[in-house]
Amino acid sequence: MRDGADLLDDADVAAVLRSALATGGGFAEVYAEHRQGRSLRLEDAKVEEVTSGVDRGAGVRVVRDGRTAYAYTNVLTRASLEEAAAVAAAGVGGQARTRVADLVTVRPPVTHPPARDPFEADRPWLVDVVTRADEAARSVAPSVRQATVRWADSHQDVLVANSEGHRSTERRIRCRIVVQVVAARDGVVQTGMESPGGSVGLELLDEHPPERVGRLAAQRAVEMLDAEPAPAGELAVVLGPGSGGVLFHEACGHGMEADLVARGASVYAGRRGERVGTAALTGVDDATVLGGWGSFGFDDEGTPAQRTVLFDDGVCTDYLTDRLRARELELPRSGNGRRQSYAHLPVPRMTNTFILPGADDPAEIVRGVRRGVYCDELGGGQVDTTSGDFVFGVAQAHMIENGRLTRPIRGANLVGDGPTVLARIEGIGSDFGMRQGVCGKEGQGVPAGLGNPTLLVGRLTVGGTSR
Amino acid sequence: MSDELLGLLDRVLGGAEREEGVEAFGVDETETSVKAYDGRIEALTSARSRGIGVRVMAAGRAGYAYTADLGEEGLRDVLAQARANAAAAAPDEANVLPDPLPADPLPELADERFGAVGVDEKVAAALRLEQAVVGRDPRVSRVDAARYGDAVRDTAIASTTGVRGGYRRTQAYAFVEAIADGDEGSTSAFGLRTGRVLHDLDLDAAAAEATDRAARVLGGRKPPSERMPVVLDPFATAAFLGVLAGALTADAVQKGRSLFADRVGDAVAAGPVTLVDDGRLLQGLSAAPWDDEGVPTGRTTLVDGGVLRGFLHNTYTAAKAGTASTGNAGRAGFASSPGVGPTNLFLTPGPQPPAELLAGAGDGFYCQSVLGVHSGANPVTGDFSVGATGLMIRDGRLAEPVREATVAGTIPEMLTDLRAVADDLRFLPFGGGTGGATVLVGAMTLAGS
Repeated sequence: MRDGADLLDDADVAAVLRSALATGGGFAEVYAEHRQGRSLRLEDAKVEEVTSGVDRGAGVRVVRDGRTAYAYTNVLTRASLEEAAAVAAAGVGGQARTRVADLVTVRPPVTHPPARDPFEADRPWLVDVVTRADEAARSVAPSVRQATVRWADSHQDVLVANSEGHRSTERRIRCRIVVQVVAARDGVVQTGMESPGGSVGLELLDEHPPERVGRLAAQRAVEMLDAEPAPAGELAVVLGPGSGGVLFHEACGHGMEADLVARGASVYAGRRGERVGTAALTGVDDATVLGGWGSFGFDDEGTPAQRTVLFDDGVCTDYLTDRLRARELELPRSGNGRRQSYAHLPVPRMTNTFILPGADDPAEIVRGVRRGVYCDELGGGQVDTTSGDFVFGVAQAHMIENGRLTRPIRGANLVGDGPTVLARIEGIGSDFGMRQGVCGKEGQGVPAGLGNPTLLVGRLTVGGTSR
Repeated sequence: MSDELLGLLDRVLGGAEREEGVEAFGVDETETSVKAYDGRIEALTSARSRGIGVRVMAAGRAGYAYTADLGEEGLRDVLAQARANAAAAAPDEANVLPDPLPADPLPELADERFGAVGVDEKVAAALRLEQAVVGRDPRVSRVDAARYGDAVRDTAIASTTGVRGGYRRTQAYAFVEAIADGDEGSTSAFGLRTGRVLHDLDLDAAAAEATDRAARVLGGRKPPSERMPVVLDPFATAAFLGVLAGALTADAVQKGRSLFADRVGDAVAAGPVTLVDDGRLLQGLSAAPWDDEGVPTGRTTLVDGGVLRGFLHNTYTAAKAGTASTGNAGRAGFASSPGVGPTNLFLTPGPQPPAELLAGAGDGFYCQSVLGVHSGANPVTGDFSVGATGLMIRDGRLAEPVREATVAGTIPEMLTDLRAVADDLRFLPFGGGTGGATVLVGAMTLAGS
């Protein structure tokens, strides 16, 4: 199987779509998926777990006047799919009125072919990769107590077909290596992590050799052993390249998702065309980034991948839509209808979301801060999209004192709200960095790329344990 | 039905070779979820999914593989994959499959009325849930989502050591997030009820909880930055217990990732703190007759009157520690090999109603929700700094609302400074299914402006 083309044949798909529209639905869709994945976990310097498997299934969606019914099954036979279609059709109810158009296969605007398919690597080869990362992590300092190394690769074959006659197939290949390190000294315990990944093959390891990934994670943990408690209060905050992507994602990106906008649960609802950020600030969502962690050729509704500008020179521009919300809000489809798997309905989701580099010298930005916090790595975060309020753990940070990076600090978090942060950005570096995360929304996790240049936020509440 | 699943598992075991142990685990689940918004059904989802996971142990090496393809080829492949995965893993003496132990069934887990609840009734429940929010308080005129959901799940397990069984569990829930609107912005809060079947759910109570909690924090301001007594409501307490749960698994201890390693027998918390994990407690969301490797569930007292008594084990961690499994093997689904996790972890309730804890606080902060616990609290170091919404406490009563606050401290300090646990224990879906009650903490650092 090369992509999703072999999952179901066209005659079966057309029959299922007809069944799905038998009760008056205005739109029907079949999403079929076959996902094969492997993972290795090394801990205590031993490969403790090797897992592989196959999940597959198909979901049938019927939409009528903004109502959605969805039924899925992981038995990929025509009978089973027709049964799912009948259940979904029963969820809308009524008389048939829409015809199913002839299926026409659409080509993707961009593809992300790996240079080397990960499945070419056998298990012993991968055991060697995780072992090298582990040995490098342990060699950093005697205070390194524990290293966990994970490798994961997958082939996801997708077929999307709908009653408008769209048919597309795609094979998505992803690889990721994650190293987590625990360091301890004199009763102080700290952690560090490094986790590169992408819609790429084994070439991931050329750009991120296992030894370097292991060393970086260990160096972060070891450095934090000397960290002092973070100050609390309002301070200048500099977000290092890549580290602030998660903040932008949570505090600004989610609020630009059209489903939240549609139901007024976003602080950016009704604010298109309005200035919400500093003049030079431009943020985008871009599924076409070659080999990006959140990239694809088509979204999970068959809409071609594209770049969407969210904030253009500080002005709130375009929302992220899926089919349903584009129609409801009379907006263009932006190709952001994503789902975790066949077991989920698509919802507007970010892909690779980042702030574009600006004109400022990153070193100058730091030099201009008298007292503040420099964030090397943020932890996860959460946002209340209705108010825009957010909170982020800071995984690694330093104090900035008189324009210089000084001692590392621990236990900090950042608290604020999206619009205020956007308006308080006073410096945008000419550098850039990206990170890879798994974004959770409505119980669905999808890979999301996160990026930013060095950014100076003039004032932000830092929650810490000392003053 | 679990008999049908057991038949599939037997076919996998039939391919086992002499020198290896094989365990097959199967699930077959049917779920429905209905989401109401703006007076109509926005989404209805219905699903059936089945799959099996296979563990092979040979010469101390363990491998895992799973498949949703339950045809002849899929069943043969999954065993071959698990065997190849085992061959690539390092040997470890603690890799053993549990021997069969008698487990009392828990027939109450499945409500026989479940199958008779029609889609129409589920739709009506979601609509009624939204209506109940909208009509209750003039400041609350909309929901973020009102949802009814239920699931029936058959679980089966069989192994070459003789473990063999199956059970059925039904669950139903109502969840609603209410939005309150005021001149200075909006606030939201959720309410929920859980049960075995739709009939168990008090929809009005879920709606009232969401509405009242959203409305009372409207117009909140940033609090001053200072140390003060903090009262955590059951939601906030349960969220913290979710973090604590990770540090109380033997896996975390053995991997050097627990702040409680080497502390058994020590006072790690104040006297009012008794923490129990009970896998057979029917009011908890995670009750089951046996865990996800077939070991009978039971009751484990982790902290007794502030003193640490032990940790949660599965078969692997127990073999490593030379003790017996506590029946805490858990899997996220058929695609996951068994890990260790809490079942129904709860703080044993105290004798006082929550109002007495407020009175005891005098002047302080009442925390009704915490934001970012999973990211802002570090289960390894115990440091946390989380976003909080709530109300100030003045003279022992709830006063003005507060938002954009952070509460910071360390888990050990919070536990040793925990002055009282109220009598309002309830189980919430955090970290699997933790049970929280209102608690009073002597002092924590609140930061705002």
